[in-house]
Amino acid sequence: MAGHRGPVSAGARAACLVGVGETRYTKWGGIDDASEYQLAVRAVLAALDDAGLSVDDVDGLASFAEDRNEATFMAADLGLPELRYASLSWLPGGGGACAAVANAAMAVEQGAAEVVVVYRSLCQGQFRRFGRGPGNAPGRAGPPRVPHLRRAASLLEAHVSFTMPFGMFSPPIAYAMVMRRHMHRFGTTAEHMGHVAVTTRRHAARNPRAVMGGRPMTMDDYLAARMVSEPFRLLDCCLENDGACAVVVTTAARAADTAKAPVALLAGAQGAPRGFGHGQYANVGMPDDDYASAGAAGVAARLWARAGLGPADVDVAQIYDHFTGLVLLSLEDFGFCARGEGGPMAASGALAWPDGALPTNTHGGSLSEAYIHGLNHVVEGVRQLRGESTCQVAGAETCLVTSAAGVPTSALVLGRR
Amino acid sequence: MTGRYFPDEMPMPAVNAETAPWWEAAAAHRLVVQRCGACGTTRHPPGPVCPACRSEQAEWHELPGTGTVYTYTVVRQAFIPALADRLPYAVIAVELDDAGGARMVSNLVEAEPTEAAVGMAVEVVWEDMGPEVSVPRFRPAARAATTTQRGDAP
Repeated sequence: MAGHRGPVSAGARAACLVGVGETRYTKWGGIDDASEYQLAVRAVLAALDDAGLSVDDVDGLASFAEDRNEATFMAADLGLPELRYASLSWLPGGGGACAAVANAAMAVEQGAAEVVVVYRSLCQGQFRRFGRGPGNAPGRAGPPRVPHLRRAASLLEAHVSFTMPFGMFSPPIAYAMVMRRHMHRFGTTAEHMGHVAVTTRRHAARNPRAVMGGRPMTMDDYLAARMVSEPFRLLDCCLENDGACAVVVTTAARAADTAKAPVALLAGAQGAPRGFGHGQYANVGMPDDDYASAGAAGVAARLWARAGLGPADVDVAQIYDHFTGLVLLSLEDFGFCARGEGGPMAASGALAWPDGALPTNTHGGSLSEAYIHGLNHVVEGVRQLRGESTCQVAGAETCLVTSAAGVPTSALVLGRR
Repeated sequence: MTGRYFPDEMPMPAVNAETAPWWEAAAAHRLVVQRCGACGTTRHPPGPVCPACRSEQAEWHELPGTGTVYTYTVVRQAFIPALADRLPYAVIAVELDDAGGARMVSNLVEAEPTEAAVGMAVEVVWEDMGPEVSVPRFRPAARAATTTQRGDAP
């Protein structure tokens, strides 16, 4: 296995990523001729086509976080010969994209399935904003005039009852508070966050799939954007859009017959620190060092140990970017810089393709390509290691992919085989 | 405080077996934190068992109602239409005194939202939503208790 530097999963059943695909990405409401579910189906078929495989080869499906497009229906509607593996990661929101791929990898390595497709479809034009919380979301009809203590429909609804009545009912508000704490402790600035926005927008300009590809952004544009929830401006926040993508996972033995060069899954890791709960979205009571962080330090330690690699070995990174500032926190948690140094690292130009020390979000990320809960970051990782990116890092052999900071999360190290 | 901080369309709390006693105490204007009856560890939001010693014994420890702003944000976008005329508002995380480090989310009232600052001393003010539901908000500590201004009032 030339180029496989990781110590784990060697052998014929070692997990490989062999196909990627997506629908077109548009601003929300831009896709009105197909349902969100139909887009998921199209993405699965596109990824299989990319791999040179067909539905008849598929025996597993995986997704994450409250997916509306159940694998059971997908299996029947696509006509899978037999469903042998189906999983949904518990990791909430965008925390589970890498975990869904890692779970698929575990399934093929263990022999539970041969070909597992991981998919995500997100049509916000059809279903509105993700992350509004459960049934406690602001009612269209309004609450009764004399409110009473209602019975919560879920643990999450009971938990966010300690946040939503206070107007903390959207991720930008919750994570603005995390960034304010980080600024207070470490002196992180708006310009630090702006470097993430401007750099990834520049990457998106080269990517024909990117929703914001034709919309250049300067630091002045960034600083002039309206405030959403201080310190987050509009351009600190990821897109809201329509689209779907998918990734095909199979064994090294099976990958020998696929259409394109397989990409090795060198390591995956997932989880959350003690007391982290659902993350800062629903919990402000965790230790200070965890609150002002991505909550991913443990995930990072396990990831690097399993891969037999460290931050210095990474050629290119796709870091979940629901908010600019949380990219800085992920850089810290994954060891690319010291705690509190994420802002200065971004300002140094480290994230820029092609000359930065760690070209990051070379597709444009969720800020500028599309917000598909970070599964599109896995897609871009595969393209980098095949040499297919529109911001190709020359000779890239390793790519870090992370999922959402600020919720229980997951990450992958991908490698060129 | 008398006036409503938010419009009536704001979400109201929903409870489960673990959290209902906290909201019932709030209706009586008692700010409490759940404390383990065996080892004294506090937890918020409430839960079924102590995360430190796993005892199910728990008590509702009444707090003095003072605390310190741990972090905050000034919200300037209306995430529900009813808030369009209620911007900006300040969401704060308060580290509660005598609560074993427990923090809670609330709002800064009787001050400009932009006065919110990490380290600001605050004290609880109760807002009655109905006979069964009261919500604790916080104003700068040591400010006279006579005003009922909204957070956006001068």
